[in-house]
Formats: sequence, C-alpha cells, structure tokens
Amino acid sequence: MSETYISIDHLSKKYDKDFVLKDVSAVLHSGEILGFLGPSGAGKTTTIKILTGQLLPTSGTAKVLGIDCRKIDERIYEQIGIVTDSSGVYERMTVFDNLKYFARILNVPLENIDPLLKRIGLYDHRKKPASKLSKGQTQRLILARALLHKPKVLFLDEPTSGLDPSTALEIHRILRELKEEGMAIFLTTHNMEEATKLCDHVALLNEGVIVEYGAPEEICLKYNRIKKYRVQLTDGTKHVLIQGSETAGRISSWMNEDKIETLHTCEPTLETVFLEVTGRELQ
Amino acid sequence: MKITADTTTKSTGNKKADRRRALTLKPVHMRKLAAIIDVKGRALFSKNFIIMPIFSLGFTFLMQVIYERASGGMAEMNAYALAMGMLMNVSMMGFYCTAASLAEEKEKNTLRTLMTSSVNGLEFFLGSLIPVVLMTEVVNVLCVFIVQMTMSPMQWAAYLAVTTTVSVIASVGGMLLGIFAKNQVSASTLTTPVVLVFMMIPMFTGFSETLQKISMFFFTGIAFDAISNISNGLPAVDVRGIAVLAAEFILSVILFLVLYRRNGFER
Repeated sequence: MSETYISIDHLSKKYDKDFVLKDVSAVLHSGEILGFLGPSGAGKTTTIKILTGQLLPTSGTAKVLGIDCRKIDERIYEQIGIVTDSSGVYERMTVFDNLKYFARILNVPLENIDPLLKRIGLYDHRKKPASKLSKGQTQRLILARALLHKPKVLFLDEPTSGLDPSTALEIHRILRELKEEGMAIFLTTHNMEEATKLCDHVALLNEGVIVEYGAPEEICLKYNRIKKYRVQLTDGTKHVLIQGSETAGRISSWMNEDKIETLHTCEPTLETVFLEVTGRELQ
Repeated sequence: MKITADTTTKSTGNKKADRRRALTLKPVHMRKLAAIIDVKGRALFSKNFIIMPIFSLGFTFLMQVIYERASGGMAEMNAYALAMGMLMNVSMMGFYCTAASLAEEKEKNTLRTLMTSSVNGLEFFLGSLIPVVLMTEVVNVLCVFIVQMTMSPMQWAAYLAVTTTVSVIASVGGMLLGIFAKNQVSASTLTTPVVLVFMMIPMFTGFSETLQKISMFFFTGIAFDAISNISNGLPAVDVRGIAVLAAEFILSVILFLVLYRRNGFER
C-alpha cells in the first residue's frame, strides 16, 4: 500500500495584502507524480518553497514525510531532493567533483556516483568542468545531485523549461523510472503535455487557487461535454462532427466506402480545460 | 559538537515574523564541515582569489626591499615591513576573499543548493571562515621569512596569536559584508572602502597623531603595533589592546548574528 508522503491541507500564503496561494489542498503518495500546472505567477514555486521549508505559510498545514512544514529543518533535506531554477552547480569543479561534494555532505558512498552518472547520461562528461556543460547537461547534473541520496520525495520546479525536446524526453524517462521505484515526485510545470504524460494527478493552479484537481484523463473527460470527432477523408477533406445519429450515419457510410484516412475523438486537453475554467492560457 | 547559533534560512515574507525566530541549538557535523572546508579551501586557489595572497607576499617583499634600502639595513625596519604586509594580507584576505566567496555562492545559486542539501548555516559559516583564516595565517608566516625577521618561540606564539585573532575578526567582517553582496562585483564594491579604512589608517599613523588615536581602536591597528612590540621584545598587546580585540571580535559576531537572523545569508 502506498504511503502518503505529502499532504497539503487548506494552505494559504499571503505577501503583504496579496494572497499568492489560497486554500490549496492536495496529496502525494509514494510511487506517484503530482503536477502543479499553471502559468507564471500561479503560485507553483511558492508551494514548493513552503513544502521544502524555505518559506512559511500564512495559514493551513502541509506535511512532508509526516513533518509539518513549519517545523522543517535541514534534516529533511537528507530525505528529499530539490531541483529548481535557483539550483546551481559549482562551475569550476568537474561533474564528478560536484557530485562528490554533495555525496560527502549527504553521507553517500562515492561508489554510487558513477552508476548515477551513467543513468543520467553524464558519465562521459564526468571529468568536464561544469562550466563547459550545455544547459541540458547542467540540468541533468542538477537532477543527479538531487537524486544522489536516493530521496523519498523529489521536488521539480519546471525541470524541462528551456530544454531541447530530446533532453526533456530523457528527463521524462528518468522520472518515470524513479516513480516505478517508489519515489514520490512533486512537479510544477506550465507544459500541459508534460503534465498529461507524467502525472498521476494534476492540480490546475490559477492565481493561487486550485481550479481543478484529479487524474489528467478524468479532468479532460469531465469537460468533454460536447463530444466531437475529427475525420480526414482519403480525398483530403477534413470534418469535425458532433456526436449524434446523423454523425454516426455519415461515419458508417464513409467506412463502408473506405473513405476514412484518419478518425479521432476530440476530448479537451488540460490546456483547453484550463482555458475554459480560467479564461487564461497556460503558457 | 554543539554550537549556539541560529541557522534557519526560512523566510516568512514578513519581516516581523522573521525577527520572531528564536535562536536554536544546531549540531555541526564534522563530515559536512570537512567537505565545505575542502571545497572552499580549493576555491581559494582559483584565479579569483589566489591573487590576494600573492599580492600580499609581493607587497611584503617590496616593503622589505624599500625599507632595507632606506634605512641602510636596520633590522628594526624588517618589523615595519612585516606589519605592512600583514595588514595588507589580513585586510585583503579576511574582508575581500570571505565576502567575495559568499557572494559567488549566491551569484551561482550554489548557496541555496547547499542549504537545501542539509547544510546548516553554522556549518557553512565555519566552513567558509576556516580556510580563509588558515590561508591568511600561512601567508602571515611566509611574510616573516620574506622580511628575514628572526623570532624566538615566544615571539612566534605571540605573533601567531595576534594575527590569527585579527584574521578571524576580518573574516567575520567579510561574511558580514558578504550578506549584503549579491554578486562578486558588489562584494568588491562593498569591501574596498572597508579594506582601505582598516588597512590605511594603521599604515599612516606615523604621519598623523589623529590617525594614531583612531588606529588604537582598530583591530588592525592593534596588530600593527603588536608586531613592533614583538620585534622590540615587549609584550605584543597590552590590556587595552586585548580589550579592543575582544570587543571587536564580539561586536563582529553579534552584528553577523543579528544580520543573519534577519536575512539569512541572502539579503
């Protein structure tokens, strides 16, 4: 049975007079990926900062590995890994030495570094100074540093933002493997494809409020009120048809005449759900 | 090892709430401290920092040559050249290297990474301070050989005690300045006037009685006079000097703790 690693209960955060998080609740179990999906300024990074003890909430509670976020101290960092845009690397040091430094701090055997570098795809660059790495390689080094001590919970703040598609896909592969191994992953992103592909549950966050919460597929189906089909025929014409007996007849007829090239259902994506609920786009 | 210092870096987004944070007891893990000292120590040999000790050694050599020629080889002038070199070294290494090292960690986002990797503030503080103080002391010792000054074991003990104390005070001062510096450029801008004040005033006491009076209340001034005393076989520091050193050490630590409690390492 999966354990609850993160529980967020009516969490709010106020800066001066403005709420940046309002009454946010969510749960993350071991072996799951929870995505906080929203545009810039929605409160995603604030949530991570509260959960990792870098910021105190105004009200509500949040527990990480059973520890109240108000009582978090540096000991929690031996059980969690963090990748954010403010995670840095020691540029003068080699890839290996960067990890060696944190291995010593986190009491990780040095023999664990090479297998991790192989897994993350940086083994061939282990003797290279971190300053010589590309952006994607640097991000992988930051991820390797966060995984070095095999944390129970991994926090990722926009981990693939600004990366090329192949590096992003590589990171997605690693995240899925980690999830299979039982790691709980808290992910923030404004990339709805990433959230749909990776997350077991997503919270759509807008101006500090969760406007939808659930499994990505469930959320999309919930807003699939007008069912449509997109058809492309062999003569190149395209049709979008609303479900009904007339549509069923037309599709049946085209099928009998072998005229259908492609046929797709048109359920909404997380992006269109977000647009429908908030009137704003995710990007 | 239990140490009394606040090490939290949490921000409430509310300054009053931040100020309410209590001082807590935090353990210093020798494993983590050794790792930080190792990395910080190696960083001191990078081109950004190594220039400071090299410059101090070169400056001491230059002073020795100048004073030897000017005095016609008077042995007492060796102590004066040593005092000049020691002042340069303590000020540049203590203030600048510590502040710039902290600023570099902030600039490259490695400070936050360290703090979210189970390193507490006190471990980082000690890990940053110890290599700078050690390197400053190594240079201070080399300066003695450069000026060819001979000292008895007691004189050596007094010299090392005084220079180590002032190195620690200057390094804590450097950490203080580093809190306000967001990058290495601003660290340089912030430390330059401080370095000039603490270095120049004792250096020019011979030209002005007012400067001499002011210098008596600077830890660098006490150290400058201490070298002359050691060379003349007198006690390195009198009671007033000890009081000044103690007061400035305590003041720098209190100021650091107050600012750290309010801002963490990041202003």
